Amino acid sequence: MTTDFINICLADDDEDDRLFFTDAFEELKINTKVSTFNDGVELMNYLNHEDSVLPNVLFLDLNMPKKNGVECLLEIKKNEKLNDIAIAIYSTSSSEEHIEETFINGANIYIKKPNDFDNLKKILSEVVTINWQYHTSGLNKDNFLMRM
Amino acid sequence: MKVYLKFDYAQLTKKIVQEKLSELGYKFNIIGFGEFNFLEKIPSEKVAEITAVFKEYGIEIVENQKSVLVQKIKDAIVEMVNSDKPLNIKSSVYIADKLNLSYAYLSNVFSEVTYTSIENFIIIQKIELAKQLMINTPLNLTEISIQLNYSSVAHLSTQFKHTTGMTPSAFQRIISKRRELSNKNNN
Amino acid sequence: MNYLQLHKSPLFLKIIFIISVAVIFFIGGITFKHITVLKKSSNYVSNSHEVNTELERLISFIKDAETGQRGYILTRDKKFLEPYLKSKNLVKKSFNEVSKLTKNSRTQQANLKKLLFFINKRQNYLSKTLYLTEQKNYDEKQLVSNLLIGKQAMDSIRLKIEDMMIAQKNLLNNRQKEYESTMNYTPLLIYLTLIVTLILITIAFIKMNRDLIILKSTINTLSVAIEASKLAEIVGGFGSWQYNLETHEYTFSDNEYRLLGCEPQSFTASVEEFYKFVHPDDLQHVIDNANIIPTDSILPPFTYRIIRKDGEVRYFRALGRVVTVASGEKTHIGTTSDVTEEMYAQNFIEERNRELESNNKELTAFNYIASHDLQEPLRKIETFLSRLVSKDYDNLSKSGQQYVSSIQSSAKRMRVLIEDLLQFSRTNKAEKVFEEANLNSLLDNAKQELAQVIEEKNGIIESNTLPTLHVIPFQIQQLFINLISNSLKYSKQDVAPVIKINSTLISAQEDNFLPNNNNNAKYYKITIEDNGIGFEQEYAKKIFILFNRLHNKNEYAGTGIGLAICKKIVENHKGFIVANAELNEGATFTIYIPAE
Repeated sequence: MTTDFINICLADDDEDDRLFFTDAFEELKINTKVSTFNDGVELMNYLNHEDSVLPNVLFLDLNMPKKNGVECLLEIKKNEKLNDIAIAIYSTSSSEEHIEETFINGANIYIKKPNDFDNLKKILSEVVTINWQYHTSGLNKDNFLMRM
Repeated sequence: MKVYLKFDYAQLTKKIVQEKLSELGYKFNIIGFGEFNFLEKIPSEKVAEITAVFKEYGIEIVENQKSVLVQKIKDAIVEMVNSDKPLNIKSSVYIADKLNLSYAYLSNVFSEVTYTSIENFIIIQKIELAKQLMINTPLNLTEISIQLNYSSVAHLSTQFKHTTGMTPSAFQRIISKRRELSNKNNN
Repeated sequence: MNYLQLHKSPLFLKIIFIISVAVIFFIGGITFKHITVLKKSSNYVSNSHEVNTELERLISFIKDAETGQRGYILTRDKKFLEPYLKSKNLVKKSFNEVSKLTKNSRTQQANLKKLLFFINKRQNYLSKTLYLTEQKNYDEKQLVSNLLIGKQAMDSIRLKIEDMMIAQKNLLNNRQKEYESTMNYTPLLIYLTLIVTLILITIAFIKMNRDLIILKSTINTLSVAIEASKLAEIVGGFGSWQYNLETHEYTFSDNEYRLLGCEPQSFTASVEEFYKFVHPDDLQHVIDNANIIPTDSILPPFTYRIIRKDGEVRYFRALGRVVTVASGEKTHIGTTSDVTEEMYAQNFIEERNRELESNNKELTAFNYIASHDLQEPLRKIETFLSRLVSKDYDNLSKSGQQYVSSIQSSAKRMRVLIEDLLQFSRTNKAEKVFEEANLNSLLDNAKQELAQVIEEKNGIIESNTLPTLHVIPFQIQQLFINLISNSLKYSKQDVAPVIKINSTLISAQEDNFLPNNNNNAKYYKITIEDNGIGFEQEYAKKIFILFNRLHNKNEYAGTGIGLAICKKIVENHKGFIVANAELNEGATFTIYIPAE
């Protein structure tokens, strides 16, 4: 299993953020396959397509055109087929109410976009590792809540 | 109606493997957590069949020697954390004794395979147990910290926050609101 | 109380009147009955006399017949036979008379029947005797026996008549007795009822007299009240009107006319006359409201414009309700007040408020958007900087490296500032959702948030039981976090920080700091006391002002926003916050939050 790829998706409308994200995973020595989407509609089209490989972890920016992160989150949580995907909110906002709301709606991880590239790398690696633990070490996924 | 279950993965896995293997007509011994010993020679096409049956339940047959070791370390840790008896010795000593190998070696193998340290894994397991106790039992945080061998509530709080990024009470609040929401949607 | 007595007295007087009339009718009835009895008994007396006389006459006629017959037998003179022949008719006539007079008495009638028998018998024998004597050769013996039987019959007649006369006398006696017994108690009865009537009438009189006194004093009070209300209307700038729901008549007070710019009572009060003054644009509004009057007992207050006689436009406010007066009539009473000045002032204030509100909203939105959106480019700057440092740092010149690290530290400071500002504007902007929250658990949450710093500094936080209050939980938690981290930050270098949190319930007059305008107001006074470096009391007010700092940023990091946020949060809860401190002696922050 360790030879397999960890599938990761990111939906973010900001080009720079997508670049930081893919660069960070490239520099991390983890076997990952990263796909990025420019907005929520693009992401949902992919997820709803039959042949798509579903991601292990999905990173969602909240503030996106056409379909925002919360809309995507609610849609994913309603769909049984997509239930196994761990969802990480990836946003600039740090409003407590906002964060709690996304958790209540079913997000597993909330990441406030860091201001430092090394920090970003550290956070992403931690998210992937902990998510890996939840998949392999018999931890209860319902209790998977994390804020970074 | 919605009910919440608390279950023991080790027990569950053991039961499933036992039932499935008996169904297929194999003779075997249970050695420990996630370790079985077949009493006969298994041809490789049969191994593929068993693998396919187990895959349905998310159970994999670990072949790699290092992976087997890591699995043993994990089993030891899960047993240690879930044990009711207080631990008198350091966890590193406990694990090394249990597997009869040097801790440094175990630690290396573990990090290599899982990208995380044994210490971190122990913390994750303890916090996981704390979460379960918080949600499924009426114990308060102080009682949980005692049960999990923490020196103080503050220590547990700090470690909880450090691991999950949120305070225990925020965690509890979110879980209970989630349940409220899903109860509302189900009705 | 008096009013209530007056209210009931008509009923009381009515009852007395009815009783008196009944008594007089009763007396009249009794008197009539007695006069009838009297008349009857005198009739009885004269009737008895007539009966006796007639009986005597009857017997005398029979005797006459006998005598006449006897004389004829002796003399054979036809002259003697005359009375005998006449007597037959006379006896019959007299007998009929007696029978008529005694028709009411059964015993007398029975007696009469027997009497008739004897009379007939007597007369038969008289005729028989006469017939015998008419014969030339009559039998002496037969004549004697006839005469004897005739004599016996005559004796029977006499006896019967005597009986009848005695019976008549007895009858008379009985009636006399009956009459006397009736006449005995009649005067007493009449006298008694008269007395009762008199007493009742006296009570009625006393009652009426008393009512009159109450009425008089009530009238006095009323006339004073009317004068007072007239004065009050003039002073208070309002008028009043009445509308009788039964007679459909309107009455306007003097001042109602004055409000319209007219002489008091200069036109007949009516709704049509009044509507002439109402501003045409508001007329429909007034009519709609007035239509509620008959259906609803309370006319809700409404405001409208009128044009005074002199052409000035004024704002009036009407208010009314239906009252039931003592007589049971329903009247709608109401007041009209001139609220022109109030309306102008209110419009002015409302306009000002709207302006302020929109300004405020704009400002908050600006703050939020500015600080929120500023984060994005700043984050990019910092991220790119970090990549530059990790990848190409070594390729930079010494001064280049210096510049980069300066840019980094400035960007970092800017980020802290923006984050704090964002939090500050969030305390302004966030929807203020108040809910019941236990402050102890909010404090626990705050301690959990700060667990790491507390542990690092070996801090001790002691608290007594805090109340459960109606608050915005996130904000109160933030308040605790800010105050505790403030105390931890400004702790003495070599002394472990000890923070004591206490709560007491006080009333406003107990504390000099609180406004004294409402002495009954209750507050929770929560103090956060530390043993840190403190500050000079003269800065106690300044520290709550946005961006104000007492220390150089090299000594203590910070933006000067934390305590401003605290102040904002406390103000959001309609409370107060003050600081008391002494340099090197620790500081105490006191929060007052209304208990209700």
